[in-house]
Amino acid sequence: MTESARKSWLLDILMLPVGLVTFFPFYLIIVNTLKSPVETAANPMSLPTKLNFDTYARVFKEIPLAQSFGNSLVITIVSVLLMVLIGAMAAYPIVFNPGKLNRVIMGYLLAGFLIPFQTTLIPLFELMTDFRLIDKLYGLIFIYMGGAVFVFFLMMGYMKTIPKELPEAAIIDGCTVGGIFWRIIFPLLKPITVTAIIYQTMWVWNDFLAPMLFLNSSDNATLVLQVYKAKGEFAVDWPLFMTLTVIVLIPIFIFFILMQKQIVKGIVGGAVKG
Amino acid sequence: MKLLRGLQYQLFLLPILFFYTIFTIYPLIKSFFFSLTNFNGYSKEYDFVGLANYLKIFKDTAIMSGISYTLLFAISTTVLTTLLAIVLALVLDRNFYTRNIHRAIFFFPSIPSGLILAYVWGFILSPIASGVLNSVLHDLFGMGPQPWLSEPFLAKLSTILVAVWAGAGWHAVLYLAFLQGISKDYYEAAAIDGATRFQQIRSITLPLLAPAMTISVMLLLTGGLKVFEIPFALTKGGPGFETHTITQVIVLRGISEVQFGLASAMSIVFFLIVLALTYFQVTVMQRREEKML
Repeated sequence: MTESARKSWLLDILMLPVGLVTFFPFYLIIVNTLKSPVETAANPMSLPTKLNFDTYARVFKEIPLAQSFGNSLVITIVSVLLMVLIGAMAAYPIVFNPGKLNRVIMGYLLAGFLIPFQTTLIPLFELMTDFRLIDKLYGLIFIYMGGAVFVFFLMMGYMKTIPKELPEAAIIDGCTVGGIFWRIIFPLLKPITVTAIIYQTMWVWNDFLAPMLFLNSSDNATLVLQVYKAKGEFAVDWPLFMTLTVIVLIPIFIFFILMQKQIVKGIVGGAVKG
Repeated sequence: MKLLRGLQYQLFLLPILFFYTIFTIYPLIKSFFFSLTNFNGYSKEYDFVGLANYLKIFKDTAIMSGISYTLLFAISTTVLTTLLAIVLALVLDRNFYTRNIHRAIFFFPSIPSGLILAYVWGFILSPIASGVLNSVLHDLFGMGPQPWLSEPFLAKLSTILVAVWAGAGWHAVLYLAFLQGISKDYYEAAAIDGATRFQQIRSITLPLLAPAMTISVMLLLTGGLKVFEIPFALTKGGPGFETHTITQVIVLRGISEVQFGLASAMSIVFFLIVLALTYFQVTVMQRREEKML
């Protein structure tokens, strides 16, 4: 913008209260994890008078956090990688082997965008019960596979920018259809793969509805589900609950710090395509 | 040879077709089928009841309340988040010392799960006098404690504002990316012609943000209609059914009470609402994009 070269303190001063209010909830939970329950009840907003890490020790004793973290990690990694894989695979014939049939298949897959998960929920619940997939990590992973349609859509848009001559030349050189995909096309998809991974990771890691419905034992709970269960059990023990919240937020906070640039780019990439 | 190669290509479609058909299309068709029956989930015997389940929707207070609250939530979060996100994006596009810190602060609430964020807000909005917001308001204005989450109007307002807080930064980043794509030449030309900063925003920035707005509003609207976590964590859908979302009603009637027929009819109606609103919004806004350019 025309005036952007000049820095002014005016916006810094104007934005300070807005930023503080936005950040306030995070400040609040962090300070309260370091206080005793008595101190929290008396004055929730103040800084702790003396640092008290007892609550952290208590949380790790009361709640199987390591196990839930592992569950969340397994569910997220496996389902995101599978979604990316089958989404990219599906885009390959649609783009490089076009025809009437594949146009119909494309429409069939893209219709998935318009179908809310909630609409399929009751038959899914019956299906999962019949196949004994309730309370199984891989059962939940199957549920997430519906999300591959979004990856397919992103991949298809990106694949169209790859010149057609590339696979044609490879065929003349004696490369197989499979070989072209794995050795030439898939590696070229890296930028859009990053976008897809970020979107799907944030969705699966944070999801609550599907784990709530399809995982019921504490052993199989994801981190988000563990927070939900703890809210029921330790509702009045705010320091314990907030400490749990802070611990659960740490991995996603690290993800945010490490990936900030890619997250922003990914969101924009996905939105422009979408 | 060519046929064989075509077949080899088609093999790549099999995994997605398998999962998508079993876990999305088949349940969708079955949902429609259930909605026409009195199937209760247990007994294998059931009858076709025609549209009776659909008629029951209108007599079910929980469902009707769920529909009206969800529509209110989706529309108000969309409008408020859009206004806030555009203003934020305009500010965060300017050059100031703490710009990057502010970008991070506003964006961060969109990273964690809505359930966890809403629980934190539940603590702040606690209705007792020593609740965080209530004590702040008491100290500043001498106000008495307000039942932020247990009075129908306040509960609706609180859930909507928490959702706006959680989503505004994410959408601001989306607008920001489009803002940065606008060529500086436009502004320079306008400045030479004597346009004020406000005129520049109105006649250059906002029209060029129209495509970003179509996407952002679509995401907000569909996300708002599918909302579950934030109201569930803040109010559990109460007081009464005042902040029940459609999703919560489907879970309640379908999974908890195993009224498969009624809940399926509800979920089909929900599908149609999402379909109609999205179609309407995208068509209207794309026409607006064309008019503005």
